[in-house]
Amino acid sequence: MISLRMNRNSNSSGRSVPPVVVLLAPWAIVYAAFFVFPFVFSFLLAFLSYNPLNVQDTSWVGLENFGRLFDDPRFARALRNTLVFVIGTVPMTTIAALGLALLLRGRLWGKGFFKAGFFLPSIISMVVISLLFKLFYAPNGGLNHALSLIGLGGHGWLTDPRTALPAIMVMDVWAAVGYYAIIFDAAFAGIPKEMYEAAALEGAGFKDTLRYVTVPMLRPVIAFVLVINTIRSFQIFIEVFVMTQGGPLGATDTLVLYLYEAAFRGLDYGYASAIAYVVFILSGVFSIFAVRRFRPRFGSGG
Amino acid sequence: MRRFLKIALLLVILAIMAYPLVWMISISLRTGEGVDLRYYKEVWQAGPFDRYFLNSIIVVTIVLIGNILICSMAGYAFARYRIPGGRFLFFLVISMIMLPKQVILVPLYILMQKLHLIDTYAALTLPFTADPFNIFLIRQFLVSVPPDCEEAARLEGAGELTVLFRVVMPMLKPALAVVAIHTSLINWNSFLFPFILTNTTPMRTLPVGLALLSQGAHSIDWGHLMAGAVIASLPVVVAFLIFQRQIISGLTSGMSR
Repeated sequence: MISLRMNRNSNSSGRSVPPVVVLLAPWAIVYAAFFVFPFVFSFLLAFLSYNPLNVQDTSWVGLENFGRLFDDPRFARALRNTLVFVIGTVPMTTIAALGLALLLRGRLWGKGFFKAGFFLPSIISMVVISLLFKLFYAPNGGLNHALSLIGLGGHGWLTDPRTALPAIMVMDVWAAVGYYAIIFDAAFAGIPKEMYEAAALEGAGFKDTLRYVTVPMLRPVIAFVLVINTIRSFQIFIEVFVMTQGGPLGATDTLVLYLYEAAFRGLDYGYASAIAYVVFILSGVFSIFAVRRFRPRFGSGG
Repeated sequence: MRRFLKIALLLVILAIMAYPLVWMISISLRTGEGVDLRYYKEVWQAGPFDRYFLNSIIVVTIVLIGNILICSMAGYAFARYRIPGGRFLFFLVISMIMLPKQVILVPLYILMQKLHLIDTYAALTLPFTADPFNIFLIRQFLVSVPPDCEEAARLEGAGELTVLFRVVMPMLKPALAVVAIHTSLINWNSFLFPFILTNTTPMRTLPVGLALLSQGAHSIDWGHLMAGAVIASLPVVVAFLIFQRQIISGLTSGMSR
């Protein structure tokens, strides 16, 4: 940091500390202490056997923590559930959000009202939403109450291992769809009107316009939405922590829930860090895949 | 006719989406003897939700002030100064936006423990005072503004910090509004880190207190739980109803670009 220069002369005051150092110092301190150090430390931890109650016994175990993952049935289960969650909710949310945004397009009575209504769940804490849906999905909760009107209901959505994870996935789509719909809505505004006029002149119907104008023009935004949502979804924790604690019978066990329990119940910090790196690497790989698939392609529109 | 169908469809979707929220509120209001606020009063005192509420406000306020100062300074430096390795540093900032935060959860906990900061406001606030998204936002905003005003102030002999606080920050208002919305919302709703970094009731924030209330040994009834859930969301929802347009564009702008 000492060698930092600035691009304009500061010899008027003759101070020894260049202003840019002063400007960057608070950020650098917070960043070094609370991002860089923990990040490097967690990388090291993944190769250590570290017991917080007996730090003297810390030893280098190489790839053992990662090796253990392969023979750990609970890890396999958490990985499978997390992948099901991500692969299920991310496309579902994106498609539903695109659909909502398409419905909101054009001049529309009460547009601001609808936008606000759809957006509202995305500003509410996931703890509140999880708690609400924990009761909502209960045998005598709101969902079964509504279903009883058409002669169904009485199902314990979260106590049945077959429906627990899908129920949480539906909740997450519910919570996030409005947010992404509004992002798509804003992106629609950026598509030049001429493109639609040209498509109309060519006699393109709704489907063709969607396929050859709207979606290609939205590619960068779709890629962005997929990346953000993928990273968020891999981190699913609050939902299962509040609603099911990973149950019933492990049906909603996820990677971050396992990470949390390995670290703070099992005090197995090294193993928890290995799990954290699996989450990190998987969300990176999936994000790169999403960007590759949806990066802007010029000249692909027709 | 098509427009009418469209609105009807939107209304049905909105009704379905609103139903769980309406149900939550109705549970929180329906006591044995009709509709009243009894659950709210009781959970406020017993929670202790007054304490959680205060903690959440303190934490959000400190984190917000920290972000506005630290991120303005850093964003300004990244936008206006030629820094050796500046591009790399800025890339580091951006890459941290994408990092799943769980990666630093355990080490941060160990660090706070070694510093004897577990269960303090310092642990709840310091790590979150330099949100990389905010630095990114401020830097991008400044890059799009020519430095004329700053040059003029400098010619009149203003020091760099004066330029920042007197000239740049007023210019940054639209970006700082987004920073404020983004930062307040994230930290008001934050659960995992405040949960790990505290361990006594008087230091819990609203989301943490609420989650623990639902898992208490004496399993609490639905009315109180839902009243607590409404209390935790109320400030955010009220702010949303007042600043709807700013919040929606603030949370989605910069995203769609």
